[in-house]
Amino acid sequence: MAQASGYFKTSYGQELRLIETTTQKVALAAFVVVLLVYPFFAKPFFLDLANQVFLAVIAASALMLLTGFAGQISLGHAGLLAAGAFTTGILYKEVGAPFWVTLPASAVVGALLGLVFGLPSLRLKGLYLAVTTLALHFIVAYAGGEYETKRGYSTGVSVSPPSLFGFELTQGRHWYFVLLAFDVLVVLFCLNLVRSRTGRSFIAIRDHDTVAEALGIPVKRTKLLAFVISSVLTTLTGSLLAYYQGFVTIQAFTIYLTIEYVAMVIIGGSGSMLGAILGAVFVVLFPHVIEAAIRLVPASRHLVNDAFAINFAAFGLIMVLFLIFEPLGLVGIWRRLRDYFLLWPFRQTAVGKGG
Amino acid sequence: MASPEILAIEQLSLHFGGLTVLDQISLSVRPGELLALIGPNGAGKTSVLNCISGLYRPSQGRILYEGAEITGLAPHRAAEIGIARTFQHGGLFPQLTVRENLLVGRHCHIRSNAFLDGLFLGPAKRMEIAERALVEEVIEFVELERYRNQRIAGLPFGLQKVVGFARALAMAPKLMLLDEPSAGLNREEKENLARFILRIKHEKNLPMIWVEHDMQMVADLADRIYVLDYGGYITDGAPEDVLSDPKVIEIYLGRQGKAN
Repeated sequence: MAQASGYFKTSYGQELRLIETTTQKVALAAFVVVLLVYPFFAKPFFLDLANQVFLAVIAASALMLLTGFAGQISLGHAGLLAAGAFTTGILYKEVGAPFWVTLPASAVVGALLGLVFGLPSLRLKGLYLAVTTLALHFIVAYAGGEYETKRGYSTGVSVSPPSLFGFELTQGRHWYFVLLAFDVLVVLFCLNLVRSRTGRSFIAIRDHDTVAEALGIPVKRTKLLAFVISSVLTTLTGSLLAYYQGFVTIQAFTIYLTIEYVAMVIIGGSGSMLGAILGAVFVVLFPHVIEAAIRLVPASRHLVNDAFAINFAAFGLIMVLFLIFEPLGLVGIWRRLRDYFLLWPFRQTAVGKGG
Repeated sequence: MASPEILAIEQLSLHFGGLTVLDQISLSVRPGELLALIGPNGAGKTSVLNCISGLYRPSQGRILYEGAEITGLAPHRAAEIGIARTFQHGGLFPQLTVRENLLVGRHCHIRSNAFLDGLFLGPAKRMEIAERALVEEVIEFVELERYRNQRIAGLPFGLQKVVGFARALAMAPKLMLLDEPSAGLNREEKENLARFILRIKHEKNLPMIWVEHDMQMVADLADRIYVLDYGGYITDGAPEDVLSDPKVIEIYLGRQGKAN
């Protein structure tokens, strides 16, 4: 059998492929098998964790498109999640709308909010833009709070499990497969965007907006497009979150949640879809790992009450450490490991580290 | 309106507050002409390019392109109608590869939208493949084959300038604005650039406005030279006439002292 002396690309279509080598294909297939088998072996607690990761992946991908690729800082992410969740909750409570109505309705609300709160980005950059998106958070939080008190749902709006084709989504295992399907679709959509014209225009306005404009990219329209796509994906996550948890309360959508999503982008690795996924996994699992670690410490009984504080402190520390030592995030670490093993037994030096 | 000029600037003035950057400038570019725009630092050369490509909005005057007025057109519209430009410092996207930078230059020519891109279906996929073939021709033209998949961030400055030039070329423009393409290049790189400029001129008959400081290059390549100083018109004409003009020599070398 003939052995290839390397991996060569012989057509332009080949260059655009998401999966390039046989090794990657095999690895991905193995990963898919693990994902499909996981819910049949996992305990309910671990199933719930996986579902939370899946939800986080969609919203983190959305923020990655906006911040990591288009370079627009947003602190309105929790607000958008709340907007999606409340659209679903309110439509369900007030008119008994089914899943197939609330989900698109949440997307429409997301598109509108993205358009409105994307407008300041046409004039403002960086920190100033961040402050205007913070306004989105407080407006949605206020509106949601008002709805809860006016209608007497002070403990939250309860939402019954949705039914898909007459099949009720009650068990964690059902949710696992539905959310996994959503994740696959969203991640594929984002990867496609990033490798084509739209993704390049996002990166262009992030790195050099005047140059982008002179190359024929309508900067204002592209910024709004990034805001709208990101917001729609985020409110969709909010809607799914409402159904998954079975109730909606504004107290769940704090500014801390926004910070967690920003952390997913930074820790995962800004400007990479893999980074969004790794970041989501890391940030969702992190508090549980810390908790488990606390339990391992002898005489940990005294520490249990402080678990929350320890979690916050450790989370902050991790963020700072990543910003200082690994600005490329988990993706940077992953790439270095991969290159190390690809080149083994040759040592990789610091030359060409920029890649 | 039939016009022999591809671009005509009439009485163009530009003010920043009380500062007069351009004062009643008129110039025209004929089809296939290589017009060099020279003058000392701060003469307003780049400002002329910025007005044409829409980055600055002139205070007075008109800009006519193919006989139609384009004064104050948005930069992305100017790019759409065929005005491409390079930037003094490259203006490249550092995180993208050479090829991806050129593909950004093809933005206007790719018919697709975010939805189709996201699904990567039909026209989106077909155009991505077809555009790569087109961009490859430009890469071959400027001899960047070795670097096509390298990120800009790791490339030396001289090569970055060539990529910026290639990106403007990839836009398949009808008028090219070159902003000091040779600044920062060494002798060999300048010779390569001169070769590319001449090939474009002869093979594509593409009109160019070329802001340049290297007088030797200008003297050798330009069809016509236009001289600016302090935002005002000094002279224009054939290279040998302009470069021997006492006014131009005075601008560059200063007035001869009376003591002599």
